[in-house]
Amino acid sequence: MTDELTRRDVLKLGAAATLTVSLGRAESLAQAPTFFTADELALVDELSEIIIPADAHSPGARAAKVAPYIDARLAEGWDPKEKATWRDGLKVVDQVSRDMHGKALLQCSPQQRVAVVSRMAAREANPQRPEEAFFIQLKARVVDAYYTSEIGIKQEMEYKGNSYLPEFVGFDVS
Amino acid sequence: MNLIRLLQAPEQPDLKQTYDAIVIGSGAAGGMAAHVLTSQGMKVLMLEAGKKLDIDKELKSTEWPYEHPRRGDMPPGHHALSLNEYTIRQPPYAAPDSKYTKVYSYVQGWSGPDYSKNIVVNEKEHPYTGTNYAWVRARCLGGKTNIWGRLALRLSDYDFKAKSRDGYGEDWPISYKDIEPYYDRVDRYLGISGVNENLPYLPDSIFQRPTRLTGAEMTLRNSLKKMNRVLTPYRAGVTTDGLKHNKYRSRCFGRGACNRRTGGCDIHAAFDSPTGLIYPAMDTGNLTLRTNSIAREILVDAGNGKARGVGFLDAESGRSYEALGRVVVLAASTLESARLLLLSKSSTHPNGIGNSSNHVGHNFCEHVMGPSVTGLVKDRIGKPRTIDDGRPGGFYVPRFRNLSEKHPQFIRAYGFEGSSGNQMFPTRAQETPGFGAEYKKKVRDYSGAFISMGGFGEVLARYENQVALDPVVKDKWGIPALRFNYRFGDNEKKMCEDMAATAQEMFEQAGFEILNVDRTVLTEGWSIHELGTARMGANSKASVLNQFQQSHDVKNLFVVDGSSHVSASCQNPTWTIMALAWRSCDYLVSEFRKGNL
Repeated sequence: MTDELTRRDVLKLGAAATLTVSLGRAESLAQAPTFFTADELALVDELSEIIIPADAHSPGARAAKVAPYIDARLAEGWDPKEKATWRDGLKVVDQVSRDMHGKALLQCSPQQRVAVVSRMAAREANPQRPEEAFFIQLKARVVDAYYTSEIGIKQEMEYKGNSYLPEFVGFDVS
Repeated sequence: MNLIRLLQAPEQPDLKQTYDAIVIGSGAAGGMAAHVLTSQGMKVLMLEAGKKLDIDKELKSTEWPYEHPRRGDMPPGHHALSLNEYTIRQPPYAAPDSKYTKVYSYVQGWSGPDYSKNIVVNEKEHPYTGTNYAWVRARCLGGKTNIWGRLALRLSDYDFKAKSRDGYGEDWPISYKDIEPYYDRVDRYLGISGVNENLPYLPDSIFQRPTRLTGAEMTLRNSLKKMNRVLTPYRAGVTTDGLKHNKYRSRCFGRGACNRRTGGCDIHAAFDSPTGLIYPAMDTGNLTLRTNSIAREILVDAGNGKARGVGFLDAESGRSYEALGRVVVLAASTLESARLLLLSKSSTHPNGIGNSSNHVGHNFCEHVMGPSVTGLVKDRIGKPRTIDDGRPGGFYVPRFRNLSEKHPQFIRAYGFEGSSGNQMFPTRAQETPGFGAEYKKKVRDYSGAFISMGGFGEVLARYENQVALDPVVKDKWGIPALRFNYRFGDNEKKMCEDMAATAQEMFEQAGFEILNVDRTVLTEGWSIHELGTARMGANSKASVLNQFQQSHDVKNLFVVDGSSHVSASCQNPTWTIMALAWRSCDYLVSEFRKGNL
């Protein structure tokens, strides 16, 4: 319980401190990263938005603050293997990007960025290469974080439950 | 009067007085015993091994995921055992020096485990040994009723007289007509939701307002009718109309998030033992409750061999106490009750109290589960959102095997529990391949179009399937742990193969596209329906209890939980546990008044 409060306090402090991030448009990164470096956080933020982008229906992972949530979970997690997976995985992403386009992912054009993620996702059912294995981890966390966010639940999925109903919904067979 | 009593309630109960009865355990069985005995004027002391939790603050049923710092997950260092761990390792699954702060059973791997982590036990403190078994235990006031699945079914003479039908095992010493009035009482006192179907093998209850089916479930229901099979709305141990005699419970508001497992219900529309049974029993002024009290031994009067009370340890201080009672009612759960009987060795009861038959711990049975099917309902893709999880459960498909025809491969039967439609977290979002706008749209369009169901099958009661005391391993309090010698047999394996095949067949007939048929048989114990370790019977040489759950050997000792069940049936046991306990406690009161105990 104490840990939890401490954690919340840290987040609040982080939110209060203004942080300039290399990506000007990323309002969702107003929090100081606690596990990722600022550059790593920006990369995770971009990858999350590529996986679940804003569309005409609803905002995407960036607006849902998926990257800061993943950052917070990794910061308090104590499994060193998981931390290493993320740190190494993000390096591999940039390496793949350099192999494909000669520059790190965030320096690429939007189309080039999507091409990198397409490469990572190529064998999703049967990942072989390090970037393919990392994509599984990355997507699982992004999907979990997005669809448990307020944007994911209320705007994207238009979930109407968790409210008081005068009568059950559906077909009465009594 | 009640207020004065509550204000003056002593911190610790008076252990100098002799209570009319001591009830050990506060789950469905112990709660029912407390209700029946106190409402008829008996002075009862209830011992519960765990804490009294402020359960509403634990469960927070309506908290949104994003309001929780970990979206409902447990803090780092809290670990839920996985199927893999149960499969490749042997108990004890959590060493005292495990790297994890706390280790829990697999149910803490479901969604929202942070809300139930204080209800279930830390496996590091509660080791067991022997064969693989996924043992789920809740040590707190109300036990597992705080988080139960709420499917509330009756048994029938297809179960009570199963031996007469197929020759296997033993018949129960009661028939449906003996227990029917008590099922009725449980229905009325606690509330149950469902639809009458007039099935001889799944008798109807006295139902309150039923829940409703989704379009996909209607399709399946109509399709099954052509196969002479039934799909009925979840028979939920939930009051959907309210109970005017119970001020601690609310009617079901269909708020949804009911399938946040292990979820609980903090408006107490779903039955739980504290609000349904124990608090009302305390209001009679006849119930004294002591939590943090781990029963260590049923004490015996060396002169006449009768039970004279209960020796217990304070869970916090470890100190030993004795509580004295004229009757002892054991309701600690199927496995813990067997353990306590075996622990209670004395010169008059050298094998453990009530165990002259050597059947305590034996004939252990339950439900086997695992086989399941998931289908896609194509005409539901892209449809507007409906509130499909604003109900305590989805649907139930009752047994259909070995009713009029005899299956060539196995005896007994299985039923299915299932659900469909929209939920808070989109179904199969993790399994949907790809990324980007296309992925997002697919998750959105498909999430309400899935339907799935999984089977629960009867595990045959076999003498050789048993638990005993481990000669070496002890729990945190120095009490010998249970050692399992329990495995599924051939009948269960054949049944599971059939389960997967019929599940697929039924979905295909309904026109659903089959996405997945899972044939995995889950680890023994997974159903959390353990039964049979102190079975009833007319023959005192081959059973532990008579038809009133009274020990053959010790007439002032009753065991009123699932351990008394003679066979597992394939129907979920909680409602039967409570109906039987009510019947036995009525008998107990009448015998007590006659001076026969």
